[in-house]
Amino acid sequence: MALQDLILKLHAYWADQGCYLAPTYDLEVGAGTMTPDTFFRVLGKKPWKTAYVQPARRPTDGRYGENPHRVQKHFQYQVIMKPAPADIQKIYLQSLSSLGIVLQDHDLRFDEDDWESPTIGAWGVGWQVLLDGLEISQFTYFQQAGGIELQPVPVEITYGLERLEMFLERKDDIYDLDWSKNVTYRDLRCTEEKEFSEYNFNAADPAMLRASFQACEKEAVSLIGKGLLLPAYDMCLKCSHFFNLLDARGVVSVTERVKMIARIRAQVNEIAQRFTASGRGS
Amino acid sequence: MEFLLEILTEEMPASHVKTALEQLDEKFRGELKDAAIAVQALEALGTCRRLIVRADTAAGQEDRTSIVTGPPKSLGILPDGTFSPAARGFAKAQGIAAESLEIIQTPKGEYMGIRKVSKGESALEIFAAIVPSILASISFPKTMRWRESPFKFSRPIKNILCLFDGKILPFSLEGMDSNDSTSGHPIYSPQPLRVKNFQDYRDQLKKSKVIIDPGERREMILGQIEERLASLKARIYPDDDLLDRLNFSVEYPCVILGVFPEKYLSLPIEVLATAMREGQKLFSVVKDKKQLPCFLGVADAVKDSKSLIRNGNERVLKARLEDARFFWQQDVKKSLAERAAGLKNIVFQEKLGTYDDKSQRLKKIVSYLIEKIDAAKVKKEAIEAAGLCKADLLTEMVKEFPSLQGKMGGLYAKVEGHPAAVYQAIYEHYQPASLEDDPPSSLTGALVSLADKIDSIVGVVGVGIQVSGSSDPFGLRRNAHGVAKIILDKKLRLSFPRLIDKVLSIYGDRLSVPAGEVKTFCLDFFAGRLRFIFERQGHRYDHINAALGRGMEDIYDTSLRVKAVASLGTSPNFEPFILMARRINNILKDMPACKVNPELFLEKEERDLHSTFTIISDNIKPMIEKGDFARAQSIIFKIQPLLNAFFDKVLVMAEDKKVRQNRLGLLQAIQKLLLQVADYSRVVVEGDKTAKPGISR
Repeated sequence: MALQDLILKLHAYWADQGCYLAPTYDLEVGAGTMTPDTFFRVLGKKPWKTAYVQPARRPTDGRYGENPHRVQKHFQYQVIMKPAPADIQKIYLQSLSSLGIVLQDHDLRFDEDDWESPTIGAWGVGWQVLLDGLEISQFTYFQQAGGIELQPVPVEITYGLERLEMFLERKDDIYDLDWSKNVTYRDLRCTEEKEFSEYNFNAADPAMLRASFQACEKEAVSLIGKGLLLPAYDMCLKCSHFFNLLDARGVVSVTERVKMIARIRAQVNEIAQRFTASGRGS
Repeated sequence: MEFLLEILTEEMPASHVKTALEQLDEKFRGELKDAAIAVQALEALGTCRRLIVRADTAAGQEDRTSIVTGPPKSLGILPDGTFSPAARGFAKAQGIAAESLEIIQTPKGEYMGIRKVSKGESALEIFAAIVPSILASISFPKTMRWRESPFKFSRPIKNILCLFDGKILPFSLEGMDSNDSTSGHPIYSPQPLRVKNFQDYRDQLKKSKVIIDPGERREMILGQIEERLASLKARIYPDDDLLDRLNFSVEYPCVILGVFPEKYLSLPIEVLATAMREGQKLFSVVKDKKQLPCFLGVADAVKDSKSLIRNGNERVLKARLEDARFFWQQDVKKSLAERAAGLKNIVFQEKLGTYDDKSQRLKKIVSYLIEKIDAAKVKKEAIEAAGLCKADLLTEMVKEFPSLQGKMGGLYAKVEGHPAAVYQAIYEHYQPASLEDDPPSSLTGALVSLADKIDSIVGVVGVGIQVSGSSDPFGLRRNAHGVAKIILDKKLRLSFPRLIDKVLSIYGDRLSVPAGEVKTFCLDFFAGRLRFIFERQGHRYDHINAALGRGMEDIYDTSLRVKAVASLGTSPNFEPFILMARRINNILKDMPACKVNPELFLEKEERDLHSTFTIISDNIKPMIEKGDFARAQSIIFKIQPLLNAFFDKVLVMAEDKKVRQNRLGLLQAIQKLLLQVADYSRVVVEGDKTAKPGISR
């Protein structure tokens, strides 16, 4: 089964569970959690079920296309169910069975791993799901997002698509994965990893990145003032990406790091406050 | 009668299960005792998905008899043998006929009264009341919400089974009703099970691939480990914490033996063990103290008949080891000295500067320590180690495995060809990491570790970060224990207040809290930590008070003083000696300092006392300097009969001012003599009724 078949099967499974299949969001994000389809939809009382593929960019994880496991961009399959169904663990296990995994032949573990994203003021309690020792998913009951206590409690399931596919294909090198019958992961991504690693670590201009960070932050503040919360949030996502690039360039000290994250979080929390106060999530 | 409770949850962290089971055991015992329900047996069992309590108890409280008394017999029964109006009134108030009244013997005489028997509550009623409140009161390191309710628990609760005497014990917790069902292993046997009693519960679950008893699971794991390793004639590297964590993360343990390519054996054993243990929770396998290219894992599975679990774990471990090997190869390309230059980009603490600033301070502190303890022959090595010890924070390996900090620096320094005194010092400079951990074995390691810890303590206190109760963000207590442990272990004799002064002067104007305050706080803080350490060693709090009471100039000396005082504790002469020390203190209270002039002595006893005092003073001087307080003390002890004679025959408060002051001067000199070992007046003797134990925290 190629990677795109894996995506198709997950789509079929979660669509059956009543999820709306969202298109991939068109901005750079570090995780599927950060896109508006998760961030805004977990706020407020309104029930919500969604599933989507989201590329996640982590510039510091770049390895010039030479490491068999680490890449600066990987693909997440993101599921949000709000409120969390009482038997969500069972639903999740069945999703693995639907991929042809015979669980009785394996060791499946829900291993304590609480999740936190200081940039968007979010945290949750849950597990990393290990299949024969390999982390294939993150499973989280959200407790807070944008600094707001979430009620009802949503559950987030994030499958690492490459990890899961490596497990299914029993391959040791990410670049050997089949994306489709005729196209490998190497064909699609190897050059991209090389060039972006070079960009992330060496070519990116710190002065440009800092200026962009500041410009987007300023724009976010101004947009919040105008009540344009969705565009303001986009600006915060851009800030977060510029910050990640600066971090990869190795020009952010530990204290500065904390301060920059806190600056983004302040705007994101403000957006979440106004979003819920205006009743948009209910 | 049998009580059975099972809280079925989604997977709880091992540490949560352990603490919850301890609390359940304690709380059930406590509540049942308070409710006067006799308990024959009680045990708390569990897995990562279940918290279980089983108990055998009495059916209910015993019936209680209480006595209610009315008027005295003399007023209750009239001379004609009939009941008085008072007795009738009392009987009526109690709802019985006067004829039912009894004559009851009391200490005050005979009274009219009744015996009331109140029926005890049934255990069923009591359990129904205490179970929900106990469940709501369990505390976990971290809790969560999962439904539209503010109720929090470690992980979502799926079901509550509760039986008493074979029937459902009905109660409700946050909208969940107790019942008599459960379910087996979620992958092997997820269907619901109806349960009749504990025996039935345990047997059905066992068939459904759940071993509820942690002890039984542990035995299974150990037995399987032995089986897997039998042919290799090897054993696991012992790791009880890991065994415990694994035991509480499975319901049905299956031990897996796997291998990894031999080329990774070239990695240091520290790296291999950490990658296996921390990364993947695997045991490493050793034979004749050598690492084998094998590992053992504990799966939550019945068996691994297709070797899929084994192969999967092998692939993941290989990837981790490949990463580690890559990190190692990258890291050794750059020397620690080159790397250390990058420390100026890493903040130690916002106000205290970077790790480069810290390294510079460590060099100065180490240099000072070397001078004070007369260790010039390791000076070069110790200072070099101090400058390099933090450089490994910039290595890829430490970024990946933070717990290897220090150790990696030491290993890289060894590869670079630094002498043992340097690489050992770097390797050991975080030790001791806990009260149980060993202090550094090398002298250079001890000095660098000591400098690092005292630098952190003085700095953190100096920028006003408080330590209180449970809040100790920079591990000041741990660091202070480390300092004390190193000094005691290496028998380092140096002035502690001077050391604080030195560190304060090295910080200079970086610190916002005035130096005097920092020093006072540090001395008090260390006194408190020393008290804790000495008490752990089994010393009496008042002996510790005596040793600390004369001031903590030198930590190692203080420990010798405690031992000296303790060594006298059983002597029959000890108590009179303590009382004498107190008597001297009382006499001298608020007295100005006086000089002794031997020519002014009038009595034989005071002359004898003075000459003995002079001899003792001279004799003990070298002993005090060497720290041989036990011997010094035994000599000081010899002054006792002369002091007795002095107090018997000589009036201290003589009329003549000069004579009086001369005698006071002699006592002041003796007071000082005693204080050279300890403040004996603080030792508690028989009759100190009001004495309270010291508080050690």
